[in-house]
Amino acid sequence: MNIKFSNVCAFLAYTLLVILPLWLAVDRLVWVAGFDPSAWISSLENNYISQGVIEFTFYQALISTIVTMAIGLPIAWQLGRYKWPLQSVVKAILTVPFVMPSIVAAMGFLYIVGKAGLDIRVDESTWFATLIIAHAWFNMALIIRFCEPVLSTLDPKLEEQMRLLPAGNTKYGRFRNLWLPLLAPSIAAAACMTFVFSFTSFALVRWITLGDNTLESVMAGVGSSAGIEGYMISRNEIVLGSSMIQFTILLISLFLMSWLQQKRQNLLPQASEVIVKKRNPKGWAIIGIGVLFSLSPLIAVLLASFRIRNTDSSGTNYSWDTSGWEFAFTSSNSISSAWEALFNSLGYAAITLIIAVPLGWILAQTIIDVEKSRPRLARTLDVLTMLPFAISSVMIGLGVMLGMIRIDAEFFYSFWPTPALAHIMITTPFVVRIMLPALRSIEPAYDECAKTLGITKWRRFTEIKLPLLKGSILVATIFTLAMSLGEFGASWVVTRNSDWTTLPVMIDSLRSIPYKNSLTAPAACAVSSVLMGITLILFTWAEKFRSARDGGMF
Amino acid sequence: MNKLTLMAIFVTFNLMISGCLSSKIDQDDAENPSEYEWEDDGELVIVTYDVYGLTDEMLTQFETETGYEITLLKLDDAGSILDHLLQHKGLQVADLAIGLDNTYLQTAIDNNVLWEHFAELENISESVLEPYNGPLAAPFDHGYICLNYDSEIVDGENYTVPESLWDLTEDEWKGKIAIPSPETSSPGRAFMTATTDYFSNDQDNETEWTDWWSEMSSNEVIITTGWSEAYETRYTGGYGEWTDGYVGDAHIVLSYCHSPGVESWYNGNWTKSVALDIPGSSFHQVEYAAAIQGGNLDAASSFIEYLLSSEVNSKMPVENSMYSVLEGSDLPEENGYKFHSVVPQDPASISSTAIAENMETWLKQWNSAMVDG
Repeated sequence: MNIKFSNVCAFLAYTLLVILPLWLAVDRLVWVAGFDPSAWISSLENNYISQGVIEFTFYQALISTIVTMAIGLPIAWQLGRYKWPLQSVVKAILTVPFVMPSIVAAMGFLYIVGKAGLDIRVDESTWFATLIIAHAWFNMALIIRFCEPVLSTLDPKLEEQMRLLPAGNTKYGRFRNLWLPLLAPSIAAAACMTFVFSFTSFALVRWITLGDNTLESVMAGVGSSAGIEGYMISRNEIVLGSSMIQFTILLISLFLMSWLQQKRQNLLPQASEVIVKKRNPKGWAIIGIGVLFSLSPLIAVLLASFRIRNTDSSGTNYSWDTSGWEFAFTSSNSISSAWEALFNSLGYAAITLIIAVPLGWILAQTIIDVEKSRPRLARTLDVLTMLPFAISSVMIGLGVMLGMIRIDAEFFYSFWPTPALAHIMITTPFVVRIMLPALRSIEPAYDECAKTLGITKWRRFTEIKLPLLKGSILVATIFTLAMSLGEFGASWVVTRNSDWTTLPVMIDSLRSIPYKNSLTAPAACAVSSVLMGITLILFTWAEKFRSARDGGMF
Repeated sequence: MNKLTLMAIFVTFNLMISGCLSSKIDQDDAENPSEYEWEDDGELVIVTYDVYGLTDEMLTQFETETGYEITLLKLDDAGSILDHLLQHKGLQVADLAIGLDNTYLQTAIDNNVLWEHFAELENISESVLEPYNGPLAAPFDHGYICLNYDSEIVDGENYTVPESLWDLTEDEWKGKIAIPSPETSSPGRAFMTATTDYFSNDQDNETEWTDWWSEMSSNEVIITTGWSEAYETRYTGGYGEWTDGYVGDAHIVLSYCHSPGVESWYNGNWTKSVALDIPGSSFHQVEYAAAIQGGNLDAASSFIEYLLSSEVNSKMPVENSMYSVLEGSDLPEENGYKFHSVVPQDPASISSTAIAENMETWLKQWNSAMVDG
């Protein structure tokens, strides 16, 4: 079969939009810093600004992963094995943190541990603990989503049979010989993803810890002086060294994930959830705490938006009013209004949707089209579409920033949709991943039958293919919208030299204004509440379509 | 189309693009002002950081008076302004930079990213023109960089009041001093510059300024990205303790010699923060507004003139917490503003040329000292 023109166009568009900016950025950085990977890595330790960052990044990611598993597993177990009133609502509450933009989580946790909350933000140990808890909050949904389906659908006969065997006559024996081997791939997959997300964490590290940096936040910090000829060469090396380490770690985890996904394919006898699940009144202690944990930063953000600090000669007290919201929604010379940020965010999300979903779809279709005739080409294309997964969002932001400066800065700075490019780069690979299995599952026979019946191409597309793909397209749509709206790292880098703003970037800018103005923190939380609201709407919408799909992926 | 053709297209395409873009950015020489070409598009894009003095009222008044439309690009710190200028050299992105100080200015000048403005400047105090007196930048505020301490904690009993910079390397100050990084912050850079001078003029010939920084690094000095984190989040003696995000682990901070005056002004003549006038350790910092190469020079120049008008500039102490640059101006007496502000006896004296020549080396040496410490 010959490659279609549309397929070539899709890959050219993908190269132009996604690969080219990254390529230009790396090219520029290497040109300034010189090609010496070992110097790039050692510069991380030789510069005070990035000293200890490799160690900290690995260490916090590891601790975050362990804590996340420790918190998430008992919840997943309770949720999976037992019957709960309002089961789907409880599950939705427990998994909603994962779709929340990290900057919203950062604002929530800052309020909880800050002056107006528990007031425990006193030293390095407390903010490190806060970071770990925040990562656990963010990623706990992973372990629930990965393990819960395995737990809730395993035929109970299997456990009953185990009880009769010597290896399974104790609770520990059954755990050791039945549940652990059964859950291990799912736990490992969740742990792997948690590690990756904590490893590349930016907004939470930027706001919660002071002085400590991950590779991602250090890259963002030094990125503004990268790519300038003969100026601060070490900054270029830091960026290159950081992204090289990230690339390696992300690549390894990508392979690990795909291997674990294969392992997770369940061949054991399954039963309906109704048969599997029993009641467990004691489990409320775990589920209740889980629900509270899940909701507290979100409630904190909303409360903090109305909590206003008043300082006068008699000291500091707090009152409740809407002045934070008014401040956020009023435009001034120094800061744009939240309306503008909202308008931009929605606009960028729409542009991302219009480009990323069709592009991702055609790319997925292309891979399938060439799979039979040219398996090696298909694999190359497959890897190419996964490439951005291995690149962190700050690096993508730097790619767009350096790319636009090199191609035509004046044009791009006056071209409103520019920041959407970063969002397209980030979301397109996800669309490909969502569409690939969906497209594969369509029997070619349907199309062939319809063809022999003389049905036109257009009708075959709208009446057969589209209805079959509807679920996946909707999931891809919601996913793209949510990712674009909440995207922070790349947008922060791209917009820092311009007056564009998005909801997440505005939250960051508001919170960055010196705190003498008592309205900046409430205003940041007001904008966070708006973003949280939109995300919740999208999440609820997505939940409706989830039942039709397997519970594993997001 | 076969696989090879497809790959060939990708490769050629990439090479083509990268080939034409990898060529060096033009290293154009400083232009002669008579050759400047710009378009007055009625807009003024200002690159700055959180300069308090650029209030809404003040910007709006300028817009009403002149008809220019102002856009502010707020960056993180003075370092980011320089980065922005270098990053966008030769590209018309912004017209005016506000906030480069005398430790950053010369680098910008050397890289030819500024244009000579034609604002008429009058009545500027002589001391402010000392670091730089030319047409490429106009001073708009100034002040002295100083260490400040929390006098409620550093009361001479629980902590001794330091008398020299070496005192700060003592054990009692371990992790209790916050200084913004010279790599990113202008007060930080100014202080580092002062230390080069301080240690070259001290009695001790065996130790260098970098030795002091190494000792400070071993003593867990808190280096922050910008002034705000050092003063608001870390320092126990300032207004930060009333604000969100406060941590309060430093009793000495690098700020301005008049910061206690500002505290007092806002607190109704009360402050527990005191400026520490260690001879030779303070630095006279002047902040500048400068027209950016290729930008709208009409708009930039008229804004500079406006910023230096006595109506706007005399408000600097109140609006911007800095001294006005106008001749004969001073801090207000009310609420103990002037009383609690210190004018250092013996600030570090380093010429601008020396700063410009050595800054890159100093920063490298500072980095090594901190890494080894």
